[in-house]
Amino acid sequence: MLASIPSATLLGVDGQPVWVEVHVSDGLPGYHVVGLPDTAGRESRERVRAALLSSGMDFPLKRITVNLAPGNVRKTGAGLELAIALALMLAQSYLPEGCLDGVGVLGELGLNGSIRPVPGTLVLAHALRCTGIESLIVPMHNAHEAALLTHLHVRSARTLAEMRECLTGELPWPDPDPPPVDPDEHAFDRDPLDLADVRGLATARVALEVAAAGSHHLIYAGPPGTGKTMLARRLSTILPPLDPDESFEVTRIASAAGGEPPRELAHDRPFRAPHHTASTAALVGGGSARPRPGEVTMAHRGVLFLDELGEFPPSALDALRQPLEERVVRISRQAQSLELPAEFLLIACTNPCPCGLEAAACRCNDSQRARYRRRLSAPLLDRFDLRLRVAGPQPGDGPGESSAVVAARVLAAVERQRDRLRETPWRRNAHVPAGALAHYVVLSDDASAAWLAVVEEYDLTGRGAARVRRVARTLADLADVADINAEHIMLAASLRGEVP
Amino acid sequence: MTPPIDITDTMAAATLAALPRVTPVRLLRLLTHWPSPAEALAHVRAGGAAIALGPDDARSTMLARAWAASADATLASIAPTMARRGTRVTYVGAPGYPIDEGIDDRPAVLFAEGERPDVFERPRVAVVGTRAATPHGLADARELGAALARAGVVVVSGLAIGIDGAAHEGALDAGGAVVGVVATGLDVVYPRRHANLYERVRAHGLLVSEQPFGIGPHPGRFPVRNRIIASLSDVTIVVEATQRGGARITARHALDYGRSVLAIPGSRRNPSARGCNELLAEGAQPLLDPADVAVALDLSPGSRRHPARDRATLAGATAEERAVFRALGGEPATADELVGRTGLAPGAVAVAVSGLTRANRVSRAHGLVWPT
Repeated sequence: MLASIPSATLLGVDGQPVWVEVHVSDGLPGYHVVGLPDTAGRESRERVRAALLSSGMDFPLKRITVNLAPGNVRKTGAGLELAIALALMLAQSYLPEGCLDGVGVLGELGLNGSIRPVPGTLVLAHALRCTGIESLIVPMHNAHEAALLTHLHVRSARTLAEMRECLTGELPWPDPDPPPVDPDEHAFDRDPLDLADVRGLATARVALEVAAAGSHHLIYAGPPGTGKTMLARRLSTILPPLDPDESFEVTRIASAAGGEPPRELAHDRPFRAPHHTASTAALVGGGSARPRPGEVTMAHRGVLFLDELGEFPPSALDALRQPLEERVVRISRQAQSLELPAEFLLIACTNPCPCGLEAAACRCNDSQRARYRRRLSAPLLDRFDLRLRVAGPQPGDGPGESSAVVAARVLAAVERQRDRLRETPWRRNAHVPAGALAHYVVLSDDASAAWLAVVEEYDLTGRGAARVRRVARTLADLADVADINAEHIMLAASLRGEVP
Repeated sequence: MTPPIDITDTMAAATLAALPRVTPVRLLRLLTHWPSPAEALAHVRAGGAAIALGPDDARSTMLARAWAASADATLASIAPTMARRGTRVTYVGAPGYPIDEGIDDRPAVLFAEGERPDVFERPRVAVVGTRAATPHGLADARELGAALARAGVVVVSGLAIGIDGAAHEGALDAGGAVVGVVATGLDVVYPRRHANLYERVRAHGLLVSEQPFGIGPHPGRFPVRNRIIASLSDVTIVVEATQRGGARITARHALDYGRSVLAIPGSRRNPSARGCNELLAEGAQPLLDPADVAVALDLSPGSRRHPARDRATLAGATAEERAVFRALGGEPATADELVGRTGLAPGAVAVAVSGLTRANRVSRAHGLVWPT
């Protein structure tokens, strides 16, 4: 009496298909789970047993062996329980033979036989569809989420008893519950952010626009209350919209990270703003038994905003260096190693010193200032293409352009970049590696002379010079011109500025 | 009664300065009570210090007893260090002691190390200021140090971060001699960042301290040290000073000693210039040009030269460069402020600032544009 059902488990932000095999035989009664289950997997015995009994079925007093294949992958969470229960019911002939052929199953069980939601359903469903499965049973709460995938027939029920009746054909499959109204969405509409709220700060606004268009990392330094955070928060209002592939990636990651299941594909780029008490693992991802995506992965294709950069633990900041450079996070643990996507735009704000006042008004002594500056390591600061000192609006500064105007320019610049980088793996100017600059970021004679001049003027390193060149390209894209001119180079160099 | 042994006066003075719990006041009493340091040390070893310390109360008696017990050990510990380091010692009453007798709280003993003991025979000017200096202040200190050095004047300062260090560097770069008065023992380098500067001062000037070896930095010792800077100098110049900083203490000592105090005026918006401006309000002489010092020192008679920045250097500048330079108004500004004041686009301001930088009219520091 053997039954097997395909299911899946989460591995970082990817799904790993798992075959759930249940074997029921005579012998000393018992229930064993083999194949690297975690604690939740071993505890499934109690939940499966109680759910079966609550649903009016007997739990067989036989020797039950549950195998989770492949055996070398660590299975996490309780999402395999529904598959185990259904396989057991098949083996016990509570269900008609063949009713689950080619059907994937995801779900967690309650003691009363209810079927509970599973985090990462979208990711798991996608992994199963990639193995050729066309029909899927998911918890009712995740039905909308799984239905986001095309070419997949999704069915769901509320309880194990109901599911049995649907599978035997006694009842039709119920329609999914209508989605509840999201109160947050309305709260957001009442107070929309707009760049027009920010007065003055012309250069800082240019930097924000360049960051949005070319995906250049940006840091603002300045005294408190000058509008650094206000500007940074408005970055999301000028970002280009997600294309369909990006949208699916963002939704997948949101699903895998848990929380409320997504009901539709994301249309906004993520904007993550972790508090400065965040640990290294919270920022870059980690955890020993079940590595979870960190903020850098949650911000994939979007923005990671670190306010008060100097207050973050230095070790956490230095851990950002590798994802900033490679746009992925590699997490290696004894049991497994994972690669999580982390293509994010980093925007940071910092005070120049603990008291935060202007250089001249500063009351901090020299060693305090030196210690504060040491928290931001030079290699980290070097990875910012745009480093700006913000002094606050001047009396008489009027409101600037609205987000809609700037967003249109950004979108046009993004399209220019897409055309130029069409045949490359990169999408934005900031991603073009130094070796490819000569080909994709061409300088005219005029711009070339200006470039050499600013390298000397600012005493730029090779890396710094390359960054100026990329920012100049984005400035030209924003101005909608084909060639970089000397002014773009000089403005790029002054936007890169110096270490704050 | 301990048999008198033959100890040189300098070694005796050094030993007395290194006695436990000896303060500047007690040391001065010891050295003025007896005609020579050797004699003073002989009495201290014999337990007779209490007479010099004043009221013959229990504290003086106990101190005298403690010194009698530790004098030999102190002598034994400092003698080899002084020999190894080549430390010189001068004391009140010694030939060549550089400070006037009229100064009541002058240091009784000074330790000195360096290749230029002749600095005490030349005119000396103190250049002091805040540690939280602005780029303008640092440039002023450096230029002033260089100008003084070229005029053959010895620059005295405290080797601190900021104005002090810049003044020393300016003078040393111009080939001048300097005196660095420190608040620690001469074997301690503080701040650590100035280890190189310490070596340069040793090679081209003199390091001076009233503290014996092994004494580390202590907040209370810096203001006490400042009186030595003031008393060693004929003129004290305050470049940038905060409202209540060490530089103001130096200036007050200098006024108490009847020395000239000059201050460089600054913007009322600059908190690092507030101390200077208050000194000016209290009657200090404004220093508008390094030549003013020469007048204060009676080195060069005649009229004061007024600094006339020639406008010719803006010749050849573009209209945007002129507008940006005017918008600075002599004060530092961020790029945003320049955009706001000139009405130019950020790109045009960047081009103008680049041009002005190359013409050496402005410089960039701390994310601000500074007129030079």
